[in-house]
Amino acid sequence: MAQQAQTVQRSSSSIPVRAGISLKTQHYKDILEHNPDIGWLEVHSENYMADGGPSLRWLEALRERFPVSLHGVGMSLGSTTPLDQNHLKRLVDLQRRIKPSVVSEHLSWSIANGAYLNDLIPLPYTEESLDIFCAHVIEMQDALKRSVLIENPSTYLRYEHSVIPETEFLLEVVKRTDCNVLLDVNNVYVSSQNHGFDPHTYIDQIPGKKVLEYHMAGHAKTEIDGHTIRIDDHGSSVCDQVWDLYSYTISKLGVKPTLIEWDSNIPGLDVLVGEAHKADAILAHHLVKEDTHAFVG
Amino acid sequence: MLSLAELQSAFCDVSLGGDTSILSDVIIPDGFAPEQRLQVHCNNTTILLTEALVTTYRIVHELVGEDFFTQVARQFIRAHPPATPCLFEYGAGFSELLRSLPALSEIAYIADVAQLEWQWNSAFFAEEAAPLSVEILAAISPEELEGHQLHPHPTTRLVTSAYPIKQIWDMHQDGADPDAGVNLDDGSEAVLIVRPHAEVELHLLSTNADILASCLISGATIGEAFGVLETTEDAAHLPVLFAELIATNMFDKIR
Repeated sequence: MAQQAQTVQRSSSSIPVRAGISLKTQHYKDILEHNPDIGWLEVHSENYMADGGPSLRWLEALRERFPVSLHGVGMSLGSTTPLDQNHLKRLVDLQRRIKPSVVSEHLSWSIANGAYLNDLIPLPYTEESLDIFCAHVIEMQDALKRSVLIENPSTYLRYEHSVIPETEFLLEVVKRTDCNVLLDVNNVYVSSQNHGFDPHTYIDQIPGKKVLEYHMAGHAKTEIDGHTIRIDDHGSSVCDQVWDLYSYTISKLGVKPTLIEWDSNIPGLDVLVGEAHKADAILAHHLVKEDTHAFVG
Repeated sequence: MLSLAELQSAFCDVSLGGDTSILSDVIIPDGFAPEQRLQVHCNNTTILLTEALVTTYRIVHELVGEDFFTQVARQFIRAHPPATPCLFEYGAGFSELLRSLPALSEIAYIADVAQLEWQWNSAFFAEEAAPLSVEILAAISPEELEGHQLHPHPTTRLVTSAYPIKQIWDMHQDGADPDAGVNLDDGSEAVLIVRPHAEVELHLLSTNADILASCLISGATIGEAFGVLETTEDAAHLPVLFAELIATNMFDKIR
């Protein structure tokens, strides 16, 4: 099944319509030595913005074998303060060095009072936020000379003065900046459970042609005073409900390159590759269906 | 209504352990107290930045234990949150905080180990450069050599301590003998860190080689650096100390 998906490349980005995995330092050697059957790799851009050193060398070596996606966690596009010009330059330099297939960032903010909080904090969805966020996406795209993907967040709180639905806010960003969407299916599920909305309705509001990548990950459940809150910790296997939502998402929005994310409690490479193959099988199943429709249609 | 700038400034304070009441009115409770929802974000910041510090200060973490490290990390994060999102650069000044803690005053080597780990980390991510070749040096006569300066390789770092910090470092590496001990009375050590090729290397320097290294790093000519050691018991061995430094590949240019 995986091989079937591998042969078909339909995305307008140049990563294959297959599953890729987060590249973790623990797996560098294993991947180079065993060349696992995975479609592509994604890294957090910030981890490779060094002047030199072994991490960059590993990434450059792996880049020879796999397409790479640069996924940023630190641009803080939603902050009211100006974008950090030095950080932007470092991303431009990394792009030049790695030649990624995709560059992405988050619909969130992380920097205030000169401090980077290492957290993807949601914005109140207001006209003020929209103007600031869009201006920063445009600035980032101009610096990189490319369109970027913006990822929907996992959220644990909502603001009283937030007046625009998240999907509408995200699509307005897409419209104003000509960026595309990285749809994190696990984030949709986590937010839907934390705030009590139907995740299918959220998916239904996103136009498939604007989505160029999916993210899949595990999340944690925490009890606070008898209430459950789900935390997007990327520290376990994807749960069954999120796999079901993934199938639903593909049926509605189409097959797309899919990342298996894993950032804490990192298991052996075989576990990540196993999850990737599970996603590949679902992609292949839907590819067959889409081909049949195309033939009939 | 708070402006976005006001909201973000207040949220930042809350994420770094400040009072949550300022934001209570802007968070929709929806089954939780607003403070509980904000606590999730405060935890994200504290836990993830602590993990970043554990990555850089792995041996200190092993030496002081999880509970103590977490407590000190929290104090550090709140006083010195990262200024940039590249967390491999985060943690400057952690050794100074450790040094200031009364609880560690009897085990001062912890702060020196932290300094060694910080400098190792900094060398790991520093710019690449070809080390100075021995052939270039060999082609210069000893008399002429005295007037030259040696430029330190971009990954060169020197850490000195009153304690045997390299022995402690070695004990905490993969494959170290679990029964091996370190005698803290073994005294001071000077460790030269350099990444001339792919990997970071640690060299334990002989007595006075650290002084020579320090002089050369700060821009003294070779003659001037030798002059500093002329009155020591190593005056007769200066070429040997010099050769020891050259062998570490700690320089990349001569001028």
